[in-house]
Amino acid sequence: MSIAIARPLPRLRRKRQLIPAGRIALGIAVLALWQLGTNIMGQEWLPGPADVLVRIWNITVSGQLLHDTAITFWEAAVGMALGGAAGALLPFLLRLSPRLMAALDPFISAAFGMPKLALAPLFILWFGIGIPAKIVFVASIVFFLMFYNGLAGIMSIDPKLVAMLRVAGASEWFISREIVWNTAKPFLFAGLKIALPRALSGAVVGEFIAADSGLGWYIQNARSFNDTTGVVAGAVVVTVLVIGVNAALKRVQTRSLAWRPVARDMMV
Amino acid sequence: MPASRDSAIPSVGRAGAALHRPHRRALAPARIPCWRVYLDRLVVLIVVIGLWQLSSLYFGTIWFSSPWHVLTRMITELRSGELVFNAVYTLKAAFYGALVGGVPGALLPFVLRRRPVTSAILDPYLAGGYGVPKLALAPLFILWFGVDLEPKIALVASIVFFLVFFSTMSGVNAVNAQYVNVMRVCGAKERDIARHVVWPGAIPYAFAGFRIAAPYAIGAAVVGELISSNRGLGFTINSGATDFDTTLVFVALVTLTILVVAINLLVARAERWLLRWRPPQQGGSMRVMGT
Amino acid sequence: MTTAATPILEVRGLAKRFPPRAGEAQSPQVLADLSFRVADQEFLTMVGPSGAGKSTLLNIIAQVDGASAGEIFFRGELIETTDTAALNPGWNCQIGYVTQDDNLLPWRTLIDNVTLPLKLQGRYNEETAERVQALLRATNLTGFERYYPHELSGGMRKRASLIRTLAYDPPIILMDEPFGAVDAQTRGQLQQDLLRLWDHGRKTIIFVTHDIGEAIALGDRVLVLSRSPAKVIAQHRIDIARPRNLGNLFKLDGFGDMFEAVRQQLQ
Repeated sequence: MSIAIARPLPRLRRKRQLIPAGRIALGIAVLALWQLGTNIMGQEWLPGPADVLVRIWNITVSGQLLHDTAITFWEAAVGMALGGAAGALLPFLLRLSPRLMAALDPFISAAFGMPKLALAPLFILWFGIGIPAKIVFVASIVFFLMFYNGLAGIMSIDPKLVAMLRVAGASEWFISREIVWNTAKPFLFAGLKIALPRALSGAVVGEFIAADSGLGWYIQNARSFNDTTGVVAGAVVVTVLVIGVNAALKRVQTRSLAWRPVARDMMV
Repeated sequence: MPASRDSAIPSVGRAGAALHRPHRRALAPARIPCWRVYLDRLVVLIVVIGLWQLSSLYFGTIWFSSPWHVLTRMITELRSGELVFNAVYTLKAAFYGALVGGVPGALLPFVLRRRPVTSAILDPYLAGGYGVPKLALAPLFILWFGVDLEPKIALVASIVFFLVFFSTMSGVNAVNAQYVNVMRVCGAKERDIARHVVWPGAIPYAFAGFRIAAPYAIGAAVVGELISSNRGLGFTINSGATDFDTTLVFVALVTLTILVVAINLLVARAERWLLRWRPPQQGGSMRVMGT
Repeated sequence: MTTAATPILEVRGLAKRFPPRAGEAQSPQVLADLSFRVADQEFLTMVGPSGAGKSTLLNIIAQVDGASAGEIFFRGELIETTDTAALNPGWNCQIGYVTQDDNLLPWRTLIDNVTLPLKLQGRYNEETAERVQALLRATNLTGFERYYPHELSGGMRKRASLIRTLAYDPPIILMDEPFGAVDAQTRGQLQQDLLRLWDHGRKTIIFVTHDIGEAIALGDRVLVLSRSPAKVIAQHRIDIARPRNLGNLFKLDGFGDMFEAVRQQLQ
């Protein structure tokens, strides 16, 4: 009953075939530009793609890459587990007391405003330059992300559904399981999805500031020696890891939220 | 744009938006009298400050400082001008970076609107660029641009660009096809459509992008300063931490928090004024992005 | 069809089939061999069951959508064939379109919405501004010029979208159930407003509705459309004198019989 959506352009189908070729061409152009930049600006400023690949190969063979990656991953994983569990659980507990939630509201808003990344030096001051400080740092980042997402999930519970089930004689426990959990679940997943890459880059940022191992340390160490190739190689490795984690997560998520027709609106 | 990415961008920002509006309505239901909520909040504040004071007495001020120390130090730092100087430096990096990254991010979707093939070619690269952990590139920016303002601007810009771009792009894609058709029937040319339909329709989305990006901009500027700088609030935090001057660290953290909260309020106010044509139940909320 | 010697608009053998969706061998036919003529200054109403393809028909006449087969003539000139690439929405502002939704731009005030077509066509001057003012007065919208659409009632928005099209004065106006989504009270008022405006400066109107009473009350002639695929299955000439008073229309002789006849044909 409404005006039809714009008609498809007839020429578009032919142009569609250009897309894969165009993507490959753009990729090659980017690499070529990189090489050109190297030639113009010099190795010290921008190491070429080949040098970076050789460096990554070298540190892979020497075992350094594996060692630093394992450390960073460990910090991210433990921090993620601790902060994530606490952050996901707290909103459900807060739900039980509307009065407490109302009282905490302005403090939650204020904590939301604080840039969590700025806490890194404080944690290093408290816990030293080793792994524990990074774990706490990652945990604090993940905690807030999961907490806010869980809270938004709790907020979006439809009171009409709850009332309907109460009228039908459902127990509080059943309501929690059926409505609260099912409403909040996609929000928690969305939080997880955002938190995982942040946990990794959080660990790296923590290592930038003070560390003796890990990928962030490798990059920062290379920088202090003006070893540009090392900095770029480290950055490439971190980028590949984060994008890989994102891709893996996307796959898991599409499978576990298959019941949801459109996930967009729920994502916080 | 795939739905998942649209939704991943607003992330914390959207949670924050949810905290500001529906939150208050949902959290302080009519059953709890207003004065009691405020009393409760006062009690929470006193308990938090009391616990902080107690732990500083127990562990010593060197680790936790104390509320009193932080307050007095804040005043001395403000008086000396040191705090203002560093805060302005951080704000400068965040503001210029948001400009350098945000303006192209807001304009590119309009360029891509009538070019579906170009958009399709660029799409995986933009999606990849969004996924790149920009903070991990901070040392690279410092290596390239030195230790002054430029590397922080570059870092902030690289983050803000993608946030604003994807937000604006979803606005351009969400343009109401009926408005376009009705305007065509009324004699609008392609240029008129862009100016009178697409542009005003996409502005709320671009603005939402900037609103989400604002805290990230400040956070990124601080990270840049933490890694290498001799100015800015990030530098203040770092020098406090290396000197075991916990009080100074807390002063900087409190200042940062106040700045972000103030900027959030300011942007929300500006947004409400700019988008006063919108029905109030939508105004300023991220909900529009999902619909 | 014998209404006039030179019809302002003629539709000949129109057919429409949307492109099939994924997994569909062939999509259902929406319009099939639809033909009719409209005389200059005629108020033609079309009544058909919901989902009969009435909106699709108007979309094709307004050229925001293409036909699968058939031809449309405007003052004897072929303006549309099946070539979708050559569509010219509104045929150079000769065909106005009042849609079911008001489609006012939410970021423009009432007056800015109403004058936008004139501005786009470069025809906004003292004379047309005066015309807009007269239309605002005629529809009781004076005083609300600076309001945004969300601040207006549903009926006011409908009137605004109506005069947005009337303001630039296209010879033909298409109306797609423009009073569909308002309450009965407002609806009666809007119908009376429309008739008054039309009596002032007669233009050609093609008014589509699923409300039989509305079709009879407003039109010079009623075309009855079949279920999808839509075809013209009957036409009725309405000889109620103008200006009509919609209040006592239903008591007039013949109205009930006409209503019943159309209702039978729609089944």
